[in-house]
Amino acid sequence: MNRIEEKMALLKEKKEKALITYMTAGLPDMEGTKALIKAQEEAGVDVIELGIPFSDPIADGPVIQDASYRSICLGTNVTKVFQAMQEIREEGVNLPIIFMMYYNTILHYGIEAFAAKCKETGVDGLIVPDLPFEEQEELQDALKEQEGAILIQLVSPVSKERIPVILEDARGFVYCVSAMGVTGQAGTFHKEVTAYLSEVKQISKIPVMMGFGIRTPKDITPMKDIIDGAIVGTHFMQLLEEHHYSVDAAKQYCSDFKAGLK
Amino acid sequence: MNSKGYYGKFGGQFVAESLMNTLKELDAAFEEAIGDPEFQKEYHYYLKQYVGRETPLYFAERLSETYGTKIYLKREDLNHTGAHKINNVIGQILLAKRMGKKKVIAETGAGQHGVATATGAALFDLECTVYMGEEDMKRQALNVMRMEMLGAKVVCVRSGSNTLKDATNEAIRAWAKRAEDTFYVIGSAVGPYPYPKIVKEFQSVISREAKKQFYEAEQRLPDVVMACVGGGSNSIGMFADFIEEPGVELIGVEAAGKGIETGEHAAAMALGEIGTLHGMKSYLLQDENGNVQLAHSISAGLDYPGVGPEHAYLKDSGRAKYVSITDKEAMDALMELCKLEGIIPAIESAHAIAYAIKKAKTMTKEQSMIVCLSGRGDKDVHTIADYLAGKEYLN
Repeated sequence: MNRIEEKMALLKEKKEKALITYMTAGLPDMEGTKALIKAQEEAGVDVIELGIPFSDPIADGPVIQDASYRSICLGTNVTKVFQAMQEIREEGVNLPIIFMMYYNTILHYGIEAFAAKCKETGVDGLIVPDLPFEEQEELQDALKEQEGAILIQLVSPVSKERIPVILEDARGFVYCVSAMGVTGQAGTFHKEVTAYLSEVKQISKIPVMMGFGIRTPKDITPMKDIIDGAIVGTHFMQLLEEHHYSVDAAKQYCSDFKAGLK
Repeated sequence: MNSKGYYGKFGGQFVAESLMNTLKELDAAFEEAIGDPEFQKEYHYYLKQYVGRETPLYFAERLSETYGTKIYLKREDLNHTGAHKINNVIGQILLAKRMGKKKVIAETGAGQHGVATATGAALFDLECTVYMGEEDMKRQALNVMRMEMLGAKVVCVRSGSNTLKDATNEAIRAWAKRAEDTFYVIGSAVGPYPYPKIVKEFQSVISREAKKQFYEAEQRLPDVVMACVGGGSNSIGMFADFIEEPGVELIGVEAAGKGIETGEHAAAMALGEIGTLHGMKSYLLQDENGNVQLAHSISAGLDYPGVGPEHAYLKDSGRAKYVSITDKEAMDALMELCKLEGIIPAIESAHAIAYAIKKAKTMTKEQSMIVCLSGRGDKDVHTIADYLAGKEYLN
């Protein structure tokens, strides 16, 4: 079983909601990223999304665009992030880690080589926001061949009749985009977000996570009975930036958030 | 092109899940519209009465005489707003109206597509926002002013290279946010399916006219058809009706900037690396990590790191040939056309003229070619002046 699926099963058993965080890899540097991952595991974060910076992040708002740009300027690339993955796995980090990245990075690396490297270095899942269901075949084939990382499916408030098709063979969890557009539009969820989340929950055989625009556990109070967890990205990046990537600040925020989900 | 919007292995829909239904609706609305005689009638009415079509196919007498073959220029520079971009804009804006959209957004590089979209939006009373890179706003200040006079809001994009690529990213982000009431008017033969198909359809009027006009003049087909390629809208329009004519050689001219070997160029097809950007899989300039590389060209309209997927396919299948022309060669050709024919071409179009001159030297007096003169050079006079004064131009 994949680490993400194991974690989801465990959370279900404990009747806990998941906290999933996002951070751009390579900030403040790769050692800092590794330290932050360890701190978050200690603070009770359930899954980490590690952003592989790309030059043209069209699904991201200004905060993550800026973080990606700075990380690229510092020399971050996917090869170095794989290296860091290997190191933290050797150092005993066991929480599920997902690469959040754009498709061109995978294409450029080579799809099969990429899938093999994910397995080798302990990457458990991929989120590729510019790779909709219809374009996934090649990548899915390579991932299945390896039996390592799984591809996380995204649905949006306007996915409608596409939802059952997308979720048919989906694994891990469903990433429900809660607002239209890009990441980081704090608190402005789609007007029909509750109805939409309920619909996804009804169809989905796997846990349903909500992301885009979440800052505090309070933001998701109205949907708490529907969803299985929350994804915090932009706000977490802002917080890290404000606290100069302090592991203590990250720990504090994550453990408070996790407590707030109870 | 197959059902999933691929030309060979190029094209597709590499966009966020939230745009997939939007693209599906767009495709259905487009197919329905072009099959509707009323839509066609309206589109052609505006092309004739508003844009000023048909544009002449001009026999460039002195250019032909100087270089030893018959050179015809398809005068897209004579369109209202000064370039071929308006052909596509009128089509897409009529489609936007038909779909009940109240707002349009567009990206622009040289500003020609932005001006065309602002023009169409004024004509049909739609709210218009144009995304433009900061660098491009500097070198095409005149077009920024024109867009604002036409009532459009120009949003200055400051990210990445501050040029067309980044303006397109920002337009896609804005569209993903507001697709419910907003139509994205894409200006080049790029983007996710069905955009490359839509842009080709609305630009194919160029080759339809040219084929007929050439036949009237020469009672046969031309030997060569040529156009410049940035994203590839004027070229796909110029090629469209000749693709099925195997005797006609098709040549696309990319921007070699300071020279392919310097790395400072915009010739996406010259290096032959495939990638995904702006919703499509095609040839793409990228670095060793798969990040998109900055394109360079003295011409803002060719300053794009990718190319439309059908061009990638035409290259792979061997149906069209793609070559490149440096900044210097383009500027020399631009001056040559001014002096020999009294036409100031856009720097983009001057790339096609430059290769036409090279190609003409290998052809006979009886042979002939059509070159698409995609736009006029008024917008470029400052860049040209700086270049002639020996100043380092922008980017």
